[in-house]
Amino acid sequence: MIEVLGRRPALTLSVCVALFLLISVLPVNDYVLHILTLSLIFAMFASGWNLTLGILGLKTLGHHAFFAIGAYLSAIVAFYGGVSPWLTIWAGAALAALAGLLIGLPILRIRSMPHVAIVTLAFAEIVRLIFSNLKDITRGELGFWGIPPFDPVSFGETTIRFGLGNAWGSYVLAGAFFFAVQAGLLLLLRSRPGMTFAAIRDSEAAAESLGINLSTWKLAAFALSAGIVGLSGAIYAHYVMILTPTSVAGPEMLITLLAIIIVGGAGRFFGPLYGALLLTGSLELLREFGEYRMLLYGALVIGFVFAAPHGIAGLRIGRLRRRDRRGTRERSSAA
Amino acid sequence: MTASLFLEMVINGLISGSIYALVGSGIALVYGTTRVLNFAHGELLMIAGYLVLFFAVTLGWNVILASVVTLALVGGIGAAIQRVTIAPLLAREDWAFRVIAATIGLSILLQSGAQIVWGEQFRTLPYFFDGVVSLGGLRMPVQRLSILVIALALMGLCALVLYRTGLGRIVRATAQDAEAALAVGIPAGLVHTSVFAISAVLAGAGAILLSPILTVNPWMGVSFLLKGFAVVILGGLGSFGGAVAAGFLLGLIEAASVTVLPTEWRDVVAFTFLIAVIWVRPNGLFAGREA
Amino acid sequence: MLRLEGIDVHYGATQVLWSVDMHVAQGEIVAIMGPNGSGKSTVLKAAMGLKAPSGGRVRLDGREMQSAPATERPRHGMAIVLERRRLFPRMSVHENIVLGAYARPARETRGSLDWVLGLLPDLRDHLDATAGKLSGGQQQMVAIARGLMARPRVLLMDEPFLGLSPAMVRTVSAIMRTINDEGVAILFNEQNAKLSFALSHRGYLLESGRVILSGSGQEMLDHPEVKRVYLGVREEAVR
Ligand SMILES: Nc1ncnc2c1ncn2[C@@H]1O[C@H](COP(=O)(O)OP(=O)(O)O)[C@@H](O)[C@H]1O
Ligand SMILES: [Mg+2]
Repeated sequence: MIEVLGRRPALTLSVCVALFLLISVLPVNDYVLHILTLSLIFAMFASGWNLTLGILGLKTLGHHAFFAIGAYLSAIVAFYGGVSPWLTIWAGAALAALAGLLIGLPILRIRSMPHVAIVTLAFAEIVRLIFSNLKDITRGELGFWGIPPFDPVSFGETTIRFGLGNAWGSYVLAGAFFFAVQAGLLLLLRSRPGMTFAAIRDSEAAAESLGINLSTWKLAAFALSAGIVGLSGAIYAHYVMILTPTSVAGPEMLITLLAIIIVGGAGRFFGPLYGALLLTGSLELLREFGEYRMLLYGALVIGFVFAAPHGIAGLRIGRLRRRDRRGTRERSSAA
Repeated sequence: MTASLFLEMVINGLISGSIYALVGSGIALVYGTTRVLNFAHGELLMIAGYLVLFFAVTLGWNVILASVVTLALVGGIGAAIQRVTIAPLLAREDWAFRVIAATIGLSILLQSGAQIVWGEQFRTLPYFFDGVVSLGGLRMPVQRLSILVIALALMGLCALVLYRTGLGRIVRATAQDAEAALAVGIPAGLVHTSVFAISAVLAGAGAILLSPILTVNPWMGVSFLLKGFAVVILGGLGSFGGAVAAGFLLGLIEAASVTVLPTEWRDVVAFTFLIAVIWVRPNGLFAGREA
Repeated sequence: MLRLEGIDVHYGATQVLWSVDMHVAQGEIVAIMGPNGSGKSTVLKAAMGLKAPSGGRVRLDGREMQSAPATERPRHGMAIVLERRRLFPRMSVHENIVLGAYARPARETRGSLDWVLGLLPDLRDHLDATAGKLSGGQQQMVAIARGLMARPRVLLMDEPFLGLSPAMVRTVSAIMRTINDEGVAILFNEQNAKLSFALSHRGYLLESGRVILSGSGQEMLDHPEVKRVYLGVREEAVR
C-alpha cells in the first residue's frame, strides 16, 4: 500500500487541507479561486476513477459517463423538481453508482483489458448520446442552462453563496467535498478493504485463492468509484450551471481526465490532486492559446507515459525510496 | 415494409458495414498479432481523408493516382506510429495500458493538430463515379455501391496476403505463438510494423471511399474508431474474419434500427448491442476462428 | 561448442538463475535434470536468446552471442524445441515445418525438408493436417522437425517427453539418438533422473537455479545424492 499512498498519507493530506484553508483566508482573486475550484472538482473525479484504474487495476475508460449521469440527474431533479441541490447531488451520485453496478456486471466476467476498455468506452458513448437525444428534457447540445446553484448557507450575519460568480463560496464547497472524499478513501484504503484491493491488483488468482470474492469486491469498487465520480459531476453541474452532453461526456473530458491521472500518477492516492492542480492551473495560464490546449494534453500524456509513467506522485516516491530504502521495506512488510 | 425498402435497408447496411469491416479488420489484425490496441487508428482515416482531398482537389490529380499515393503514405504513417510510439513501450512493465494511454494521447494530438493545420472546415470530395443503378425499383448511386465492392475486394486482397504469401505466413505464425515465432527466427519487429501498415491502409481505404459522401474533418476518426473496436470485440478479439463478419452485421443492425427509430438513436442501438453480446458471449459471436 | 558462462537471469526483481556454467561439445547429448521450477527452461531460453540474461555469456564456437537476438541464433546453428511443443496450432504440419527454416536461405528448404522427413518418415502422412489437431506424440515430432529445419549444430529441447506415453517416450528417445548420430549435439532437460541420464553422455543437476552437480550420465545415475533424492523419491512417487 505504501506504493499507492506514499509515506505518511495522513500528514500529506493534512498539509493539503492546511494549504487549502490558508488560501481561503488570503485575499486571492476570484479567477484563481475559480481555477482552484475546477481543479478540486476534477481531482475528485480523478480520485474516483483512480480507484478502478490504478488502485484496483481495472483499466476502465468510460468514467466520464458517470460524471455525466451525476451532473445531469442532479441538474434535472433540481431544475424540474425544484429540489435543493444539497439533496439532488446525492441522487446523482446514487444513480451513477447504480450505473457502475450495471456496467460492472459484464466487465467482471471478462479479465481481458481490451474488453474492459472498449466496453466502458462504448457505455460512455451510449450515455452521451442519451443525454444528447433527450432534447425535451436536456435541450441536447444546445445546452441545459438555468441549473440552480447550491442554496446559500447562513452563519449569523454572514451568508455564503455558491455557483459561478461566487468564487469564494464555491471554492470552499468544492474543497470541503474533495477533502471529505479523500479522507474517506484514505480510511478505506488503510483498512481491510484497502489490503483487499491491493491483493486483487497484484494477482487476481492469488486473491481468489485467499478466499476473496472477486466479483463482489470488484463490483463494490466499481460502484464506489462511479458514485464518487457521479458526485463530482453533480457538484460540477451546480457550479457551472450549464451542461452539454459533449462537454461532460465527450472525448475531451476523457483526455482531460486521463491526462490528469497520468500526469499526477495512476494508482497513486495523491496523483489526481497533483495532476488536476498542475493541468487545470498551468493550462489556464495558456488560455490565449486555446486551440493548442488539447494538443498540449495529448503531448503531455505521451510524454509522461514514456518518461514518467508513475506521474508526479511517482517521482516523489522514487526519490524517497532511494533515500530510505530500508525504512520503506520495513513499513511495507509490516503493512 | 415493401420489398424495395427492405432491399434498400440491406444494401445500406452492407455499405456502412463494409466500412466498419475495413476499420475493424485492421484493428483485429493488429491486436491479433501484437496484442496492441491502437486508439489512434481512427486518426489514420482522418489523415487519409485530408491527404486524398489534398491530392485530388487541391492538386487536381486523377482520383486513382491520388488514392494510391494516399494509401502508400498512410501505410507509412501507420508503420511510423508503431515504430515511434508503440514499439518502445512493449518492453516495459504494464505496457498494455501504457500503449492505450499513449495512443489516446496521440489520437488527441493528431486531431488538434489537424484542426490547427486545416481548420474546422468540413470538406467533401466530388463523386468518383457517376450514374445510378436500378435494382427492382430501387435506385442506388454507383458511388455508394462502389464502396461495398471496393471494400470487399480490398479485404479479399488482404486475406490473400495473409493466407498465400510469405509475409502472411510469418504474420499468422506470430499471431498464433509469438515466442515460437521468435524461436524460429521470425523478426517480431518486422511483423508488427507490417501489420500496422496493412491496418493503416485498410483504414485509409475506408476514408477514401467515404470522402465523397461524408465530410472530412479532424474528428471523423472518432466514431469509426469506436465502431471498429465494437466490431473487433463482436468478432472475437483478434480474429480477422470475425471482424469482417461482425462489421457487416453491425452495419445491418444499424440500418435496421433507423427504419424503426430516429437516426440519432442508431449508435445507441449499436453500442447497446455490443454490451448485450459481451454480457452473454464474452468471447464474441464467432469465437474460435482466429488468424 | 555451446558454452554458458556464469549465466544470471532475473524475472523482474527475482533472480532465478545463479551463475550457471554449462557446455555442450560437438556430437554430445547433454541433459539438464532438476525439479519443477528449478530453472531448466530458463537455461535453454537464455541460451537461445529468448530471455536476456542479466549476467554471464553465451558462446557458440567461442563466439559471443550476447549481441545476437533470438532471431539471429538459428543462423548461427542453434534451434530450440520449446516446452509443450508450441506449434502454430492453426497451420498445417507442412507450414509449421517449413517455418523452421525461416532463418536459412530459401534454396536450402527443399533439401532440409527431405533430410528431416527422412529422419521422421511418419510425418509424410500428416503434412496437410492442422498441427493443433494432432496427438501429443505427433506434435512432438512436428516440433522436432521444425527445429531440425534450421539445420542446427546444437538442438535445445525443453522437456521433450512431457505428457507422452511410455511407448512414445521410447520413440522420441530413439529419434534423439538418430539426430545425434547425424552430428547434431543436443541439450535437453527433463525431470526424471533415469530418463535424463540414460539417454545422455553427460548431465547437470539444477536446483533452485544453481548447478549443484555435473558428470557423465553414468556418474550422475550412480551419485548418492541423485540416488537418494531423485531416484528414490521418483520411484515412490511413480508407484
Ligand atoms: N515469465 C516468467 N515470469 C516470472 N517468473 C518466471 C517466468 N518464467 C519462469 N519463472 C520462474 O522462474 C523459475 C524457473 O522457471 P523455469 O525455468 O520454467 O523452471 P523449470 O523449467 O525448471 O520448471 C520458476 O520459479 C518460475 O516461477
Ligand atoms: Mg520448464
